[in-house]
Amino acid sequence: MLDFVQNLIDGLMVGSSYALLALGFTLIFGAMRRLNLSYGPSIMVGVFAGTLVHMQYSAGLIAVAAATMIGSAIATVYVERLCFAAVRSGAAVASMVSSFAVWMQIEEAVTLAFPRRTYAFPALSDAPPIYVGELFFRIEYVVMAIVAALVMLVLYAILNRTRFGLQLRAVSQNPVAARYSGINIPAVTLQAFLLAAVIGAIAGFLIAGTDQQITPRFGLWATIKGLIAMMLGGLGSIPGAILGGLLLGVVEAQSQWYLGTEYRDLMAYLVLFAFLVLRPGGLMGTVAVTQDREAARRL
Amino acid sequence: MDDFTISVISNIGLFSFVALSAYLLLLTGEISFGQQAYFALGAYGAGIATVMWGWPLAIAVVWAVAIGMAAGALVALPTVRLRGLYYSIATLAFAEMVRNAFLIFRYRREVDGFEVGPAGAEGFRDIRYIYETGISSFEYMLLIYALLAGVMLLFLLMETARLGAVFRMIGDDPVLAEMQGIDVTRYKVLAAAIAGGIAALGGCLYAHMVTYVEPAIFNVMLGVHALAYGLIGGLGTAFGPILGVIIDIGVLESTRAFSGYRMIVFGGLVAVILIVRPRGLLDETLVHRVRLWLRPAR
Repeated sequence: MLDFVQNLIDGLMVGSSYALLALGFTLIFGAMRRLNLSYGPSIMVGVFAGTLVHMQYSAGLIAVAAATMIGSAIATVYVERLCFAAVRSGAAVASMVSSFAVWMQIEEAVTLAFPRRTYAFPALSDAPPIYVGELFFRIEYVVMAIVAALVMLVLYAILNRTRFGLQLRAVSQNPVAARYSGINIPAVTLQAFLLAAVIGAIAGFLIAGTDQQITPRFGLWATIKGLIAMMLGGLGSIPGAILGGLLLGVVEAQSQWYLGTEYRDLMAYLVLFAFLVLRPGGLMGTVAVTQDREAARRL
Repeated sequence: MDDFTISVISNIGLFSFVALSAYLLLLTGEISFGQQAYFALGAYGAGIATVMWGWPLAIAVVWAVAIGMAAGALVALPTVRLRGLYYSIATLAFAEMVRNAFLIFRYRREVDGFEVGPAGAEGFRDIRYIYETGISSFEYMLLIYALLAGVMLLFLLMETARLGAVFRMIGDDPVLAEMQGIDVTRYKVLAAAIAGGIAALGGCLYAHMVTYVEPAIFNVMLGVHALAYGLIGGLGTAFGPILGVIIDIGVLESTRAFSGYRMIVFGGLVAVILIVRPRGLLDETLVHRVRLWLRPAR
């Protein structure tokens, strides 16, 4: 029982970073109804920018975090211009495949620029874990969970309290009506991509800071984790993305502990497959499916 | 022909099978991220058959296709009602389940004094059928292309027959197809089964050419590449995906000028092609024009 609770806590804390990745995916998907496969690789560019600043100038955590966000934002703008703004509306598949092609580009460019397999990333914290009774909390995980929660609160405020949030929700719910209301859809879309890039960069920074190393494989990893978490929660749903990320973290932690490392990913995909087949709306149930169907009808 | 040319041409043939498999599903309007799963099942299934059970390659080919078709149909049954991204992610989840299962799967036994068989993450070595039976790599290349020609012939026949029209109609508008009295579910399961069989055939041939397979080969990259080939080459005809494979493997991977920058060139090329032609180089409009032009004037 103690093991189970410990895994649950670890899973929730790691899952909070998955939730951030899923939120980024959801923002882009909500604005465009298209899938940006290059989301993970864009974050990877940011994380490598952070590593570069760390290695060259032995900069502190804040400078590294800023570099991560800037790198991720630049890569995201490149992806948005080339794969989403330039591809005709109605060709959602072309956008998705195009974002995959650009992913290949980004990954090779990063591999050429950083030829070693792994690079060091500054640790979030080197403090020893805190013990509460028989449970222990790794400081990095605690930082991760707190920062993720703060980001979620800020995102909630942006979406519900600002003009941009209102515009983004309008575009996501009904692009035609949004355009008639005078919303500049291309501008809102680009801003949504940038917001997603910043959220993704924070997630990437937290994850790389916990692992204390980074490889070019991070792009694939981040895309896959974000996608799974988004689909578990329910496509296009913001609360769903958060719940999906937490659920993915818990499933991974529990199956790694009880079944072994080699079963961790297998179980995550099994849960995803089961969810898609039995409950396609994910945790958020029919809400997401209905919204998706309405969006598809309008296209 | 030197060995390098033969291996490049053989590889183009082998990856054409996965590309055609993804292309068939694209015709019915489904984006599958998971065709590499059937490629893997075909590779492991046929490898086990020839290495461990001592079957001849001809029967192993049939066996691989049967596995692929059965798996394709079984996966399609629960996933066929999923639309759009849900289907894509479900196929991705299935393919990754298969890959992760092969990371655990161990089935070893002694054949002629050597222990052989799949060994989890270490992969499956010594699938040496074509070397033991003295088939040269040139002859094997001809075999690959003979089977590919057979598959292509089926595609071209399908395009002129009712089945092709039904698949494209379902891809265009499944609701309209349903209202025309077409059993959309049944045809989608059929398409998934055929696509699974084609990918498994490619996997079987691949395993016997390279003699060594490991689960890492069958990752999501392979599946998305297969999908991209169809979209770059064009969705108008079955030659489209093959053109996509030729552009990627034939021109970029094999030309030394691009070595090291291959993906940067290929990625940029794909992105630009998709801006100009969202349905690929050989899209339906072009194919239709060529058909009209080929038709004798009346």
